[in-house]
Amino acid sequence: MTMAHQTAEMAANQTQKASAIDSFIARERARERRTHINNRLLATGFGLFVLAVWHISTETGLVHALIIPSPIDTLMATGRVMSASYFWPNVFVTLSEIMWGFAFGLSSGVLLGVSVAMFAVVRATIYPYLVALQAPPKIVLAPIFITWFGFDQPSKIAISAVMSFFPMFLNTLTGLASVDPNAVKLMRSLTAGRWQTFRYLLLPNALPIMMAGVKLCWTLAVLGVIVGEFVGASAGIGYLIYAMNFQLDIAGVFSLIILLSLFTVVVYQLIEWLESRIVFWQQL
Amino acid sequence: MDTELIDGRELSKVYATATGPLIALDDVSFTIEEGQFISLVGPSGCGKSTLLSILGGLEDRSEGDLVIAGKRLEAPRADIGMMFQTSVLFPWRTVRENVLLPGVVLKLDRKAQSERCDELLDMVGLNGFGDRYPKELSGGMRQRVALARLLAHDPRVLLMDEPFGALDEFTRETMNLELLSIWEKTGKTVIFVTHNIGEAVFLSDRIFVMTPRPGRLEGIVEVDIPRPRKADVMRTPRYSELVFDIRGMLGVDH
Ligand SMILES: Nc1ncnc2c1ncn2[C@@H]1O[C@H](COP(=O)(O)OP(=O)(O)OP(=O)(O)O)[C@@H](O)[C@H]1O
Ligand SMILES: [Mg+2]
Repeated sequence: MTMAHQTAEMAANQTQKASAIDSFIARERARERRTHINNRLLATGFGLFVLAVWHISTETGLVHALIIPSPIDTLMATGRVMSASYFWPNVFVTLSEIMWGFAFGLSSGVLLGVSVAMFAVVRATIYPYLVALQAPPKIVLAPIFITWFGFDQPSKIAISAVMSFFPMFLNTLTGLASVDPNAVKLMRSLTAGRWQTFRYLLLPNALPIMMAGVKLCWTLAVLGVIVGEFVGASAGIGYLIYAMNFQLDIAGVFSLIILLSLFTVVVYQLIEWLESRIVFWQQL
Repeated sequence: MDTELIDGRELSKVYATATGPLIALDDVSFTIEEGQFISLVGPSGCGKSTLLSILGGLEDRSEGDLVIAGKRLEAPRADIGMMFQTSVLFPWRTVRENVLLPGVVLKLDRKAQSERCDELLDMVGLNGFGDRYPKELSGGMRQRVALARLLAHDPRVLLMDEPFGALDEFTRETMNLELLSIWEKTGKTVIFVTHNIGEAVFLSDRIFVMTPRPGRLEGIVEVDIPRPRKADVMRTPRYSELVFDIRGMLGVDH
């Protein structure tokens, strides 16, 4: 038996092993892909099923069109609503209200959360009130805000900001507080000052919980604006929904609800994408 | 010649608890020379972590005087470094960025720190892992990073609270050997808390034996086993003798 012979045999073994691993990986990949496709099929199938039930029950007259319009009626109403001259101006009113409400709610939530977490005096002074105010439903403020700030945009922005403030505030506070005591000890042992500890430890450590707060903040900002428009407005999507409902244009109402939901979900997804960028280490 | 680095006199610590005052540390006095390797052993709750926190300036002492490197200790100092049982790495920073943290906080020269970081990663055997995130490392590797970070700003005194206590037996022994070789190279003064008497004998120049309720320094054992020490030290009669002496002091054999 020669040396060369043995080496050749070993090399052959190696290639055999390598190809076995390759085929194993290929099989695993294929399995993953199948699961993924199956899941998609299940979700799509369920959606189609609901659509079919909706279609059949409305077309056969099982459910009256004034209660639930058929999918086709809703689709046609969407086209009608979107091409109406009043549509876009109202959309812009609502969008800007939402954006301002979200911006105010988010920034004040972060600002107050950080202040309460970092300054004992601020904590002692205002924290009990913020906690007490957090409990009652903020919607009760809507009529008062309309009285105070009028029928136009400011009242809606105020309601939206107040409603979206609390989750952002509480999540900022919780995030800043939920830190490993040893990490704080480490920073102290490195003679880090208060703001160094904030910058290098507390803030990044709080980001995952804060991002969860941003998502809640967004949903409540939208809710606040629509509620405000229901209670009293002369423009906006909420106002349109209210008016169409009054005129028994249920298909129109449905189309607006669907458009509003789509918009909210798209922005929500955008925030989730941002989240995956900002707190990248959670996905590692 | 005066090589005394740490001088602790009548150190006491009392915690106010719901059930009344709790004496965590009672009248502990000692001196430690520069470059010594000291271990603290004793049963759970005897005040080892408390003593270490006081030495690090993280916890106020209730009574007593503490002088480190000629200055009374009043607050945490950059020449005293701490390491814990968990690695306490920041998951959003890479291995490299974690090791660079002390330099960033202390505003040390970036270029010098970067070079030092390379050396340290090399020293703890993590060459090539600089761009990984802590989540991608094993427990032992994370403690190696923590060790590199501990040394990053070159503190004179290293306070280590059961640094390898959460690791498995094999990894811990390897880490002990590496710590010993790093200590021999750098000449740091180390105060090392452990539950493991054998580990303490293997590593230390002197062992502070502590007893609980209240936390007292029962005695100090000189380890006269010559250096450099290899793992086979553990087979010598002197090693076993010292281990049994300390067990006796702690009353584990009754
Ligand atoms: N912040 C605190 N408040 C009240 N009591 C404390 C505090 N920290 C420690 N103690 C008490 O002081 C005593 C000593 O605690 P310490 O953590 O120093 O013990 P240890 O020797 O490190 O124990 P272990 O080996 O379990 O880590 C214990 O009885 C503990 O309950
Ligand atoms: Mg302890």
